[in-house]
Amino acid sequence: MYRSHALNFMAIAALASILAACGGQTTTTTGPEPAVIKEREKNFKVIGNTFKAIRGQLEKDSPDLAVVADAATDMNAAALKIEGYFPEGTSRADGYDTEALPTIWEKPEEFAKANTMLVDASAEMITLAQGGDVAAVAAHVGNIGKTCKNCHDTFRLDDKK
Amino acid sequence: MSDARTIRVWDWPLRLTHWGFAVLIPFSWWAAENSHWAWHERSGLTLLGLLVFRIIWGFIGPRTARFSQFVHGPSKVIAYLKGARILGADAIGHNPLGAWSVVALLAVMLVQVGMGLFAGDPYDGLTGPLNSLVGVMTADMLTEWHETFFWAVAGMVALHLAAIAFYAVAKRNNLVAPMITGKRVVDMPVEGITPPSLPKVALAAAVSAGVTIWIGLGAPPLT
Repeated sequence: MYRSHALNFMAIAALASILAACGGQTTTTTGPEPAVIKEREKNFKVIGNTFKAIRGQLEKDSPDLAVVADAATDMNAAALKIEGYFPEGTSRADGYDTEALPTIWEKPEEFAKANTMLVDASAEMITLAQGGDVAAVAAHVGNIGKTCKNCHDTFRLDDKK
Repeated sequence: MSDARTIRVWDWPLRLTHWGFAVLIPFSWWAAENSHWAWHERSGLTLLGLLVFRIIWGFIGPRTARFSQFVHGPSKVIAYLKGARILGADAIGHNPLGAWSVVALLAVMLVQVGMGLFAGDPYDGLTGPLNSLVGVMTADMLTEWHETFFWAVAGMVALHLAAIAFYAVAKRNNLVAPMITGKRVVDMPVEGITPPSLPKVALAAAVSAGVTIWIGLGAPPLT
């Protein structure tokens, strides 16, 4: 009894290692992932986190607009880096684990325009936050959100499916 | 001593719930890893429904499903670990230690599903149905915890599987077959469970579906 179970476990372990080997082979067909993919994801993470920091401040009873201005400054710096993060051959269609659609390279002008919208909206947020008008800052959050959505709708994989 | 005979130990709704967990936990993880967020949400909400059902069933189900029948204090757990045989009605169903494993499994699943309800960012993909009820920073924190806490769930599942392997190998007791068929062979003087009453199944299913749909809609006011 004990022996047959031991054999079962060995068979399962052997099967698992074969499957693992198969997995290893399929992922190497497109070559190593370009480092720029992780770097740009990190950059978008900065944009996402700074936007959360801004919205987080505005949920408070007395938002600290200095924090908002700092976050908007970091957001703006990250937004300016976007165009350098999309070299040819790094789309989802090239076989990498990325949400970057080939549309980015098919419509470069539109992509640049979408990028500029975020650069401008974040620059505007710095000005508004430094101006000290909480209501104006709060109203501008939606404008930044629209630039996120605008670009995601066209150039990023729809992962709501 | 009675002769060896086959008796019912697990009712069918309990088994269905169990295998639902077994399928949907790995599926939810896979869907999240591969950015199939709508499937991740559907799977999570289904898990919520199964959890609510299992908890209700823990009060109105047949005796091997009832918390009051299988959850015991530390003295019984220690006695069981020292090798005491369990007699009477509790001779089938969860043992005193396994009972706490069930409670822990249900608890980690509830915590995990609960955090998922608030997860996400409305400006960045799909959000859990209760996301708008908390602030953006709270949602962000819960999203990160939800991601990390999966490993607590996976750890409990691993422990569960290790225990099943231990019973199979060391104790020569196949726990998997009864969870599939609902039956096992015993030579102890113990009665099997009675089949679950359909009105009770319908009641538990209706309540759990209702709660899940309500939460799935974002917990709108009921009046």
